Amino acid sequence: MKKSGIVVLLLISTLGFAQNKSVDSTKVYKKRVLESSEIDFITSYYLQDGRNAAVSGGIGTEELSDFTSNLVVSVPLNDDDILTVDAGISAYSSASSSNINPFDGDNADPFLASSGASSSDVWYNFTGSYNHSSDNRNNIWDARLSVSIEFDYTSFGFGGGYTKLFNEKNTEASVHANVFLDSWSPRYPVELSSASRSFSIDDYTITGNSDYNPTFQPFSNKSRNSYSLGFGLSQVLSKNLQTLFALDLVFQQGLLSTPYQRIYFSDIEDSFIEDFQLADAIELLPDTRLKVALGNRMSYYINEYIVLRSFYRYYFDDWGIISHTASLEIPVKFADKFTLYPSYRYYSQTAADYFAPYEKHVSTERFYTSDYDLSGFYANQYGFGITYTDIFTNSHIWIFGLKSIDLKLNYYERDTGFNALFIVGGFKFVLDDRKKSIPKLLNKIGF
Amino acid sequence: MKKILLLIAIAISLSSCAIVKEYEMVNINDPDMALSLRKIDRFEANFQAYREAASGANGGKTGGGCGCN
Repeated sequence: MKKSGIVVLLLISTLGFAQNKSVDSTKVYKKRVLESSEIDFITSYYLQDGRNAAVSGGIGTEELSDFTSNLVVSVPLNDDDILTVDAGISAYSSASSSNINPFDGDNADPFLASSGASSSDVWYNFTGSYNHSSDNRNNIWDARLSVSIEFDYTSFGFGGGYTKLFNEKNTEASVHANVFLDSWSPRYPVELSSASRSFSIDDYTITGNSDYNPTFQPFSNKSRNSYSLGFGLSQVLSKNLQTLFALDLVFQQGLLSTPYQRIYFSDIEDSFIEDFQLADAIELLPDTRLKVALGNRMSYYINEYIVLRSFYRYYFDDWGIISHTASLEIPVKFADKFTLYPSYRYYSQTAADYFAPYEKHVSTERFYTSDYDLSGFYANQYGFGITYTDIFTNSHIWIFGLKSIDLKLNYYERDTGFNALFIVGGFKFVLDDRKKSIPKLLNKIGF
Repeated sequence: MKKILLLIAIAISLSSCAIVKEYEMVNINDPDMALSLRKIDRFEANFQAYREAASGANGGKTGGGCGCN
């Protein structure tokens, strides 16, 4: 406990040092890029359900719940530089993933969750980023590193960007590039995987086609690399209106299939154990994908109470998917410290060339998936948020002043029957300049 | 391709707008006018990138992570 206390105090001391040092070294006045250290704590609860699970070949429960928390700490190292550390943890429970092994002793059924090891997992993420602004604030450089880990997937990413402001800061052009080097530890449907110690197909009675003999080949390439290049151009159009155009290009290479997603072919006789149909194959997708997204944002300040924020995106890729996204959010300020955020979002996509529903693929096809995230659908999302903001940070927790509290609720539904609900809460704290004297603080608590 | 060229043409034409001086940007600098995602929207953007084929051009994630559950 004492060690933990010392670590916390060292961290706080670093925040205070960063603040004090910059005050002494300011010879020519320039506004700091970030006035004080900030801490954001963001947490979410997510719930989804549907009847087209990819794990069971396009039929079965998609029930999933997820609890995620992130801590984002931004520290001004001096007038020009900001270091941001973002750490997150996410714990999920998934009925569809649980059916990687549906044979847990109870009746196996794609519409019921099983209790196997794959029914829940934890995802960890860490991102560090560094941001530098020139003296005139017209040139901004940034760099970032990220790592995320879950039971069957590891991702390592790095990237950087450059932003140039001109026309008296009316125009902003940016470019950013990111590379993600990911790797799978593939898990296969249990009836296909000879590596499973807890399952032997000989212990079960196979109904339907009792001569179950799937062709299965484990993936040899387990890496997935993503390279993204993005361009942005924003422009102030008037005192109340500004817009942004963005172009993102993403190229992916490697294992783009999900190894535990089953396929059922219409030209192969069905085999069952209990009520669960055994896989004819696993999803097979091309090992490259090129994605192109063009987006536009507009923000219009109607008056001191109301702002309009719109977003539109046109997307296409070389898997045959074309998509449109449009959203509108109307922040409404009231009672000085509160803002309401009603929002609506529309999304549509065409199906990937390789998608077909349950039992619609044939075994002679080169590529196949029954993942409904790659199907053709449209979706509506309704959101409502509320934010409390106290710019004077009058409420405190230790040396941190509470700057804002956010709460947001979203409901999402597809025409396929899939729906999701997510609730997000956020707290923003700033290091209080009046209370940041670390030596005083250490004395006070007896160090 | 025509759509891309049209967007580029619009973007270039925007740079010819009248300059708004820094002291006139009170409304533009309102936090709700930001042309990016708010921190509170990050999970929403992640969820959408996982559940939908389209992603990017939105300040959200455009790669990395399987998003397969």
